[in-house]
Amino acid sequence: MDERPEVEPSQAKTEIFAYAHKRGALAVGVADLDAIERIAPPGHRPTDLMPRVKSVIAIGVGGQTQGAWRVPAKAMAYFGSTETRAYSCSYALAFFIESRFRTPSIYCPPDLDNEEGPRIPLQSLKLHAELAGIGARSLAGDILLHPEFGYMYFASVFTELELPADEPLAENPCPAPSCVDMYRRQGRTPCMKFCPVQCLSGKIDAEGRQEEMHYDMAACAEMSQQYEAVPAILADAMGAGDEAGRRDALFDPDNKMLWYKMSVGSGGLLAQCFECMRVCPIATGAELADPIRRARAGR
Amino acid sequence: MTQGLTRAQLGVTDEMVAAYGETIFALSNNLQIRRGDPVREKDFAAIEARRHELGMGDAGIAERIGLTPAQVTLIRNLEERRRFRTGHYHLLNALGGGRRYRAERFVPFQDHFRFSEEALALRAAFSFDPERVRGYVEQGWWGSDTLSGWLRRNARANPEGAALVDERGSVSNAGLETRVAAITAGLHHAGVRPGDVVAIQLPNTREYVEVFLAVSSLGAVMTTLRMTSRGPELAAQLGHSRARMLVAPDRIGDFSPVGWWSEHRSELPLLETPVVLGAEVPRAEVPGALPYERLAAGAPPLPRDWREPTAADPFLLLYPSDAASGRPKGVPLSYHQMLSNARLGIAEHGVRAGDVVLSAAPFGDFCALYSVAAALAAGAAIALLPAFSPPALVDAIERLRPTHLFAAPAHLAASVGADLLDRTDLSSLRLVVLAGKPIPPDLVRALAPRLPNGEVCRLWGMTEIPAGLYTRKGDGPELAARSVGHPSPGTEARIADEHGREVPRGAKGELQVRGPSVFAGYFDNPEATAAAFTADGWFRSGEAARMDADGNVVLSGRFEEVAGR
Repeated sequence: MDERPEVEPSQAKTEIFAYAHKRGALAVGVADLDAIERIAPPGHRPTDLMPRVKSVIAIGVGGQTQGAWRVPAKAMAYFGSTETRAYSCSYALAFFIESRFRTPSIYCPPDLDNEEGPRIPLQSLKLHAELAGIGARSLAGDILLHPEFGYMYFASVFTELELPADEPLAENPCPAPSCVDMYRRQGRTPCMKFCPVQCLSGKIDAEGRQEEMHYDMAACAEMSQQYEAVPAILADAMGAGDEAGRRDALFDPDNKMLWYKMSVGSGGLLAQCFECMRVCPIATGAELADPIRRARAGR
Repeated sequence: MTQGLTRAQLGVTDEMVAAYGETIFALSNNLQIRRGDPVREKDFAAIEARRHELGMGDAGIAERIGLTPAQVTLIRNLEERRRFRTGHYHLLNALGGGRRYRAERFVPFQDHFRFSEEALALRAAFSFDPERVRGYVEQGWWGSDTLSGWLRRNARANPEGAALVDERGSVSNAGLETRVAAITAGLHHAGVRPGDVVAIQLPNTREYVEVFLAVSSLGAVMTTLRMTSRGPELAAQLGHSRARMLVAPDRIGDFSPVGWWSEHRSELPLLETPVVLGAEVPRAEVPGALPYERLAAGAPPLPRDWREPTAADPFLLLYPSDAASGRPKGVPLSYHQMLSNARLGIAEHGVRAGDVVLSAAPFGDFCALYSVAAALAAGAAIALLPAFSPPALVDAIERLRPTHLFAAPAHLAASVGADLLDRTDLSSLRLVVLAGKPIPPDLVRALAPRLPNGEVCRLWGMTEIPAGLYTRKGDGPELAARSVGHPSPGTEARIADEHGREVPRGAKGELQVRGPSVFAGYFDNPEATAAAFTADGWFRSGEAARMDADGNVVLSGRFEEVAGR
């Protein structure tokens, strides 16, 4: 890495963004590193992971297809392997930066923090994306939304290459005007109303902006923990005291259905119920939210 | 598994999950609240000001309560799975989701395990120092004991063994489990929910045990009314306990509990459904009353995802009989407190599976309930004496052949005084436990030689600590005649002066106790709670006492009187 080419930071940024788009990113941004360092708690800052990091690049790839939003609720969870594409895109981007600019880079792992447990990520990809201006926090449990691309999956690249930072989105697209209308009439937005476990609530102010967002993660987990279903089932089976307990853990009626789906289905990850996103006019209705809309828009 | 380690490798036991689960869940960052849009606006001051609201990560919780982070992660995962019964595809599918949403099928999330305001208030009475909890769990004093768990275990281990014996015959463990399941479903169908209080005013009958176990199985809480309670006393306890159901006979002498309820129901708005036992079913004259047999028959089974109570849940709300007038002193007890006391006690009392345990006192008495719990803990049978009289007691001893008898001194003094014991076959008794005050030394000395195969032990307890101290088998009648022995397993006892300083052995002072079976505080009576405990957590029993050189405690009246307070 000693033959680093002389490239203007803004030129490098343009090349990096072009590569990311070529690899499938819908949105790319560079986050304000100082801001991340101030907001993230100790142990979860970019410099904790990569001491000489100069820039944090956030990318977003497309979420569900329009077809996925339309299938019955039960099957929704089996169409969610899009984060894999986000990670492969950022992985490739780290290689690209190293080969093109001779500068150390890493794909930022989204894995769980062994010390703090699953509720506190090692690095907050959401924080990176928000500060990079490719998403803003919604009333739907702080899921990031983009005014053009709607609901995306995110990944990050840390690099020692210095790049000019982008600003967060000037306006938060959430709540959409139709959601504000509904809130004025019913006191709830679609995501609040249609959440099967009622884990969302909040307030919208007189100007139609978010005033408060409440997200009960434990309630959400009632639906979302299928994400960890397979390891949890195996853990139950291994922890069972006897043969009958193991049989119960593995072949409980719900779990039998799960095995069936896993064996004949996509093999992808399971996920949250996504009912809040299914009814979100931004997630599913943004101009470039899905391939059909993007094709219609010539993108 | 957590971090590739199994539960056993992490050293996480069922007891730890039961003891710590709720605390860990409460400390986790389960609720995200955001005001405005501070990250997008880079409002660092606002972010900093609200950082503490995010809750704690597993490592922080681990440091707080003294476990490893991996243990906390595992316990939290197990607690969440227990609470939420995840995997609700059937629910999601039934709802339809999104634009196929069917509002009529909507069940608010909180209704899956909703506790009433009254139930939450009762649970709030349980507050423990996590360090003490950790010690109780590590020592094995607190386990995963629940009554429904013991009932199920007994029914599996010995389905045909006797669970109840009375003048009508016996009920097997399996039979009792079936019967309790039906009544549990009936209570649920009648509207009783976890944490609700059910009041019982019944004699020591099969129905008492059935209702007690059913209330417990449902996760509800039982409060016992003395058979002699009437009018103002009834109203005070039913009102203070926030009881939602009353189970009582149609008549107690010439008193009709349900008739009384009918006249006073406007004063007890929470008490909606009295359940009545007996021939006179006053449904026509008292609308709303439910015959007991109807409660037990034909109710739909509990929902599939019903949450069983855990050892940390409250299940008893008892009112001391000697409480001074004024604001009631309700004593809430969790399974941890009451059942660990009984589980640890059965080895000391020598209660084993196949034994028969008889209580002469009504089950509303703390010691009688302790005897019931001890019998269930050991897999022994509970012998039922519906109403005490000296002839009824000796008759029960001869016919039911108890191995263990729990009684107050008055019960046996009356029998000795009537010369009944000399004419009674007491050969089945291996242990007579005398509890209550005062116990004349001569009673112990008179009773001991009449037991050809048994001994007399003395037990000291209160509603606040059911079996606090007792003499052990082999201690001999002389020790039991003069002393209440030494503390039950896990319980600590000391004698302190009126300033709370421990006094030397042999000196008089107040008996104070602490430990895993001591109650945590009175329900809705913070003043009484504050007065009941010393600053360092010892319960002031109010008993004047001294401790001999061997650690046995000798009682000598009320401390207030001795201390001249």
